Amino acid sequence: MSPMQDSRTGATHVTAVLLGNPNTGKSTLFSALAGIPTRIGNYPGVTVEEKVGRFVHAGITIDLVDLPGVYGFAAHSPDEAVAIDVLHGRMPGVATPDCVVVVVDATNPERNCYLASLALELGLPAVVALTLSDVAAAKGIDVDPSLLAERLGCPVVTVVAPTGVGIPALRDAIAAAARAAPPARPDLAAHLARVAVDRQPAEREAIARYAWVDQVLAGVIRRRPPAAVTIDERIDAVLTHRVWGTLVFAAVMLALFTSIFALAAPLMDLISAAMDTVAGAVEAVLPEGAIRSLLVDGVLAGVGGVIVFVPQIALLFLFVAVLEGCGYLARAAYLMDRLLVWAGLSGKSFIPLLSSFACAIPGIMAARTIEHRRDRLLTILVAPLMSCSARLPVYLLFCGAFVPDRAVGLSWIRLPAVVLVSMYGIGVATAAAVAWALSRTIFRGPPQPFVMELPGWRWPQPAVVLERVREAAGSFLKNAGTLIVAMSIVLWALGSYPKPVIPPDAAWTEADLRGEALRQSFLGRAGRAIEPAVRPLGWDWRIGCAAIASFPAREVVLGTLGVIYNLGDVDAGEQEGSTMLVRRLKAATWDGTARKVFTLPVALSIMVFYALCAQCMSTLVVIGRETGSRLWPLVTFSYMTALAWLAAFVVYQVGTRLGW
Amino acid sequence: MVDRVNGAAAASRLDGLAVGATGRIADVMGSDGTSLRLLEMGLTPGATVRLVGRAPLGDPWELEVRGYRLSIRRAEAARVTLESR
Repeated sequence: MSPMQDSRTGATHVTAVLLGNPNTGKSTLFSALAGIPTRIGNYPGVTVEEKVGRFVHAGITIDLVDLPGVYGFAAHSPDEAVAIDVLHGRMPGVATPDCVVVVVDATNPERNCYLASLALELGLPAVVALTLSDVAAAKGIDVDPSLLAERLGCPVVTVVAPTGVGIPALRDAIAAAARAAPPARPDLAAHLARVAVDRQPAEREAIARYAWVDQVLAGVIRRRPPAAVTIDERIDAVLTHRVWGTLVFAAVMLALFTSIFALAAPLMDLISAAMDTVAGAVEAVLPEGAIRSLLVDGVLAGVGGVIVFVPQIALLFLFVAVLEGCGYLARAAYLMDRLLVWAGLSGKSFIPLLSSFACAIPGIMAARTIEHRRDRLLTILVAPLMSCSARLPVYLLFCGAFVPDRAVGLSWIRLPAVVLVSMYGIGVATAAAVAWALSRTIFRGPPQPFVMELPGWRWPQPAVVLERVREAAGSFLKNAGTLIVAMSIVLWALGSYPKPVIPPDAAWTEADLRGEALRQSFLGRAGRAIEPAVRPLGWDWRIGCAAIASFPAREVVLGTLGVIYNLGDVDAGEQEGSTMLVRRLKAATWDGTARKVFTLPVALSIMVFYALCAQCMSTLVVIGRETGSRLWPLVTFSYMTALAWLAAFVVYQVGTRLGW
Repeated sequence: MVDRVNGAAAASRLDGLAVGATGRIADVMGSDGTSLRLLEMGLTPGATVRLVGRAPLGDPWELEVRGYRLSIRRAEAARVTLESR
């Protein structure tokens, strides 16, 4: 729908597109204008996020489409390609825009006006939202909005999005602009004539466009020389310093991980306790039988297994969003770039890899900001090796139950803690080795260029931070939740059916009967079928069952072990929760012998296997979607499973030889 | 004006700038996605650029250009020639 038709038909519905550089306060502005988005999803065929909000102003319904932050229209990354398609009305399912709202960050007027100038080329009515003028003024940059409006030929509205100042005026301007004529296109001819002719047309245009921007901004911006070194400068000098910067980085990462564990632990305990209470209530109400077993061992175990990770994921994303909002994550990427390049990755891999410690899914999606396909693919391939929160319960269980709780050497550090940290270390080291090897073989090529903005320091916006946390937790619950719950039910069925055939004259105990039932079930058969493959890892067929059952999602392994050793073993006591699980595991013996199944080498072998394996269907699905190919999920699954088996084998064999 | 291909001496390139020093960009060499991205980010002929610092391991570098901070690696800095004073 063109604006001309709009005014003729008096249409009361317009589509406005919000365009801006990254780090310009665009998300805050979106929330201030449209509130909570009415639609969040992915654009068809690509995984760039689509965010649409709706508000009614002066009788006009305005759909506001938020675009990914971009620097230009040269389509260096998938984000930029999507922005261009939406702006040109080429994106299926998104209405052709009636008007474009360009965010111009007053602290950085030149590069922001470069994008504004590109927006003026679209032939759409345009409105400029001038943000962060207060921050700019504090930095000694004054922008004259009315002169800027005159020069650009479109309305310029000064807004302070966090406090809502200027938002009504911006809504007025959007509603009016949708019916107005588009502004004149920037006249670059005179500037183009001064650019050397031996360049690519796109490069000549970029040079000429900046010359145009310089001309437009002459007199519009006034820079007062800052009295002394600015605060930004001082913070930067410390945080990117050779020694202090590195120390601060290490301290921030340490604080981040320890606080995630320390703060999430009580919440996780609370959720577990609540789930136990619910399970107890169900058991009290329902008679023993298939339905009760399905509800308690299947559905509730599955639901509990999912929501128990939400505190950790939410906390990690809270920290990531705060660090990103204040500008630290870009510095962290800057500090880590050299190390990551050595491993065949890039500084831009840092944020995806960090997010993967909560959950690989948002981590893999964060790799979208990496422009270069090779760097992006490598990052995606190794991201699942970061120990996500789903591995933590496995580590905690086995470290707590089977690693002797004694001090290391003469220090106060306890052995289980060392083993726990080593599991995280094994994932990181393996990721580095895999990326190193791949970047020197299959992905061999010249180092990809690195061009990254280091945004100014600012206070993170609570609305934006909370939105990020809500989104991460929500999508985890939705993606993983549905799958894990469904799989838990399937798993329960596979472990309970077919019902065992028991010889009528057998004088078996209750435990024998349950053991035989598992042995004869589909799951038990599968476990016994793969026993030769897991025997070298020190596992019995029941651990094999757990490994098969946790293929779709490794977080079900604890529930599975509980189910398997409950179904198949002696009643180990009345204690609730993991204590009971630990007792059952400690009591478990190899079939027909008194030899214990779970020894220290076996516990270590299981932990190492779960640290490196790709037992997560959701991750593989996301890798397929993000890479647009079925090959890469297959590659990821194969190499990770092979490495996991190999590492578990080495750990078990070496551990056994050393007599652990 | 510095010759685009051969005339740029090491001292007049961005990667020869000392930390804290300032220069005026003469040209961005090469013709590919990277040179376009550098131009898009505002490293255009005539713009003033200051080398703010280097990352602890020597790479990448932090620049100030057009009033904001930009990080590029030494390899990218070597493509940017500076006007001789």
